[in-house]
Amino acid sequence: MRRTMRVLVVEDEKKVAKALCEGLQAEHYDVRVASSGEEGFFLVNHEAFDCVVLDLMLPQRDGLEVLTTLRKRGLHTPVLILTAKDTVDDRVRGLDSGADDYLVKPFAIPELLARIRALLRRGRPDQILKLHQDDLEIDLMTRTVMRGGQTLELTVKEFEVLEYLLRHRGHVVSREMLTRDVWRIAARATPFDNVIDVTIARLRRKIDDPFEVKLLHTVRGVGFVLRRDRG
Amino acid sequence: MRVTAPSVRTRLTLWHAGVLAIVICLFSTGTLLFVRARLYRGLDEQIGQDLATIEKVYREETGDLGELDHRMGLTLFEVAEGHTVIYRTSSWPPPVTRPYRLRTSADATHRVSVARDETGVRQTLWTLAIVFAVGIPCAFGLAMAGGYLLAGRVLAPVGAMAESARRITAESLSARLPVDNSGDEFGRLAGVFNETLSRLEAAFEQLRRFTADASHELRTPLTSLRSIGEVALHRSLTTQEYRDVVASMLEEVDRLTRLVENLLLLTRAEAGRIPMTRTVVDLSELVVGVSDGLRVLAEEKDQAWSVDVAEPVTAVCDASILRHGVTNLLYNAIKYTPNKGVIRVATTQTPAGDAVIEVQDTGPGIAAVHRERIFERFYRVDDARSRATGGIGLGLAIARWAVEANGGRIELESEEGRGTLFRIVLERSLP
Repeated sequence: MRRTMRVLVVEDEKKVAKALCEGLQAEHYDVRVASSGEEGFFLVNHEAFDCVVLDLMLPQRDGLEVLTTLRKRGLHTPVLILTAKDTVDDRVRGLDSGADDYLVKPFAIPELLARIRALLRRGRPDQILKLHQDDLEIDLMTRTVMRGGQTLELTVKEFEVLEYLLRHRGHVVSREMLTRDVWRIAARATPFDNVIDVTIARLRRKIDDPFEVKLLHTVRGVGFVLRRDRG
Repeated sequence: MRVTAPSVRTRLTLWHAGVLAIVICLFSTGTLLFVRARLYRGLDEQIGQDLATIEKVYREETGDLGELDHRMGLTLFEVAEGHTVIYRTSSWPPPVTRPYRLRTSADATHRVSVARDETGVRQTLWTLAIVFAVGIPCAFGLAMAGGYLLAGRVLAPVGAMAESARRITAESLSARLPVDNSGDEFGRLAGVFNETLSRLEAAFEQLRRFTADASHELRTPLTSLRSIGEVALHRSLTTQEYRDVVASMLEEVDRLTRLVENLLLLTRAEAGRIPMTRTVVDLSELVVGVSDGLRVLAEEKDQAWSVDVAEPVTAVCDASILRHGVTNLLYNAIKYTPNKGVIRVATTQTPAGDAVIEVQDTGPGIAAVHRERIFERFYRVDDARSRATGGIGLGLAIARWAVEANGGRIELESEEGRGTLFRIVLERSLP
């Protein structure tokens, strides 16, 4: 059986900390919350964690300071920083100080979970050539899609979206994640939500409509998920 | 202690007086020297004539020398042969109490000496010098006073303008400086200042409107969020109903987030805090990329879609910022064009080398009254309809920024009921 992953959340905003904690627990992580830089610093030094979620704006001890000290001590725990400032300078500084990834507030929980999964997966070879969910299967080499023994014709974008959903199968994928990772648009202020909705609708028409069991679901207000429907 | 700089008026007067002083000094010194030279030359000529007369008398009839003294008023001369004095007037040698000018002409046999009193010459020169010494300071003083008054008169409009300008504040930007004579320098200054005020007033007005619009736009989703939550708490709901409530709140949050993102982008852009990376960009490729991304939306509406990028067109710009602008224009074209309409995107290069991107639709068009303001933040042609389609009213403002930040401009041609053409023009620039 897989060992439970331990995540430390350093966040002084109580509501955000609570939401993060519950979101991570729902994904079966073992979560510890520190509400100040000082406390976070103490915990990283005394306990072992698989991943740290660190807010940059903290009382007592600045997040960056915590991060720098951590790295100086030779601890290589993956660190994901949360920041409300999204200027390039702040990101660069965060990454320079040894952060592995960053998220700008306000962020979506599904996205945070995806990033943490990615950080924990890091270092493991990714030699998957086929992805599947129930009887839906895609071949990344030949770029073909099969469902129930039937070959489905998808456009390039539809294939990319499906691949992304399959890589995150069982987890919700937000529109922002799709905009950035599939459409590769960095700016957060572009009107791409409609494009995503249309593409998802078309994808659904091809992979779900002709079949009994529906796999691609819309989670209203959050995003999309590929899983066997639980009603 | 800090020494304050003298006023413009004082400085003008001082300069003026200084130049005048130099001119007067040069002039009076020159006059004195000139008059002196003339007077002495006159005296010397007289002495020369005296010498000639005495010589003549001496040579012709030596005895008459005494008569010269009485008849011709030659009272100061001496004629000598060697050491023997032939004739000497009674007052010879000239007394040392008064200045005399003495000249002697001599040859082997005799010597003639003549002297003339030069007191008159000296007096004349002294009188002139005194006139200068008294007159110059007086004239100088008058000139200073006059200059000071004149400078005051000339600079008075500046003071008045400063006073009027001080009274103009953010609240009374509609006030203008009086322009007395628009032709002269001060009139032009006032004119330029007034133009600046007009621009400032327009900017303030736009800001005021923007603040009002922004708070309205921000309050709308906040109000929905609040009322959805409040209503939900009043009743007990099924799990599915609660899910719906939460989902609906999340949708409002999404809307709010998008609005804030867009506002932040614009604010940063206006503060010039968005870094630009300019490179040579293949506009055809950029346009194809954008249109591939948005094409599905047009397909959903059965719109005819034409991308005309036959010839390669390049420009020096920041690709990601320009892409943002093109995306917004194209997105709007799809949004406002009815089903089965036509959307055309094209890139061309003008003979002058300017790069042009055209986005044309067969939508309802934009009435002339709206064309001026369509690029303003939150400006909407039809409030109700735009809200229903989910726009936030910042797309065109961002598009304009994206193009202008790249040194280009957006042109707009529209005919009501026929459609609209947006044209991005990027002037040719060397990489």
